Amino acid sequence: MPAGFRPRFRWKGDQVIVDLPDDEQQILAHVLVQLRELVMGETDPVLRRLRPTARPDDDEAETAYREMVDNDLLRSRLEAIETVEAGVGGTALDDEGISAWLHSLNALRLVLGERLDVDLVGHDALQDLPDTDDRVGVFALYEWLGWLLEQLVAAAAKGLARGEH
Amino acid sequence: MTAPIATPDIDSDQSTALDHPWKVIVWDDPINLMSYVTFVFRKVFGYSEKKANRLMLEVHVEGRSVVATGNREKAELDVFRLHEHGLWATMEQDS
Repeated sequence: MPAGFRPRFRWKGDQVIVDLPDDEQQILAHVLVQLRELVMGETDPVLRRLRPTARPDDDEAETAYREMVDNDLLRSRLEAIETVEAGVGGTALDDEGISAWLHSLNALRLVLGERLDVDLVGHDALQDLPDTDDRVGVFALYEWLGWLLEQLVAAAAKGLARGEH
Repeated sequence: MTAPIATPDIDSDQSTALDHPWKVIVWDDPINLMSYVTFVFRKVFGYSEKKANRLMLEVHVEGRSVVATGNREKAELDVFRLHEHGLWATMEQDS
């Protein structure tokens, strides 16, 4: 660990302390606003990644499933975003808070990944983009969120190991 | 000719002894981090790190893995929780 590295997430007692530098706080706050708008709009095709098929074998069953869960999924997403927004400036997370951050950071990655068409374009191609490419900034954001998520997962996993589900 | 009798509404959600169990399947995707997928399996199913890791690798290498089985209600709940975490999960009845 380089001297002066500031862990973004670290355990203190039975909570995870969130500690982001100012510039990361700003970026995160900004993309969360966009994520909320996207999610509430409910129409953007990238959202299909947040509402994947449960019953690919049966259209009727899929429709029934969607009717059953889409509102709950939406509400869950919005609540998670709200929790993260409230804590961007620094906070202590309990189990529910950790889940909210995990879900939201991951949702951000899913949406950005869809936008970048990671599936089709490929991660390597995205890494090799010339600086002039429009997607460079979005990909950097995508990578940074992945880095942040890895750290939170590592912290959260330690919590599981302690039996603190 | 008598009026048609309405067919009794058989609740197909009722699990009976004759019901085949349902399988919960997780599919590979290019976005989710391997560490995250492993964590989700531990969190949602209470699996050990070893088992969760094995299932994650199966998803990664084979493209899919059956991560849980159960009755229909349990499968639906499992799929919902996995979707909440951003994984792509589907359910199908064991044949």
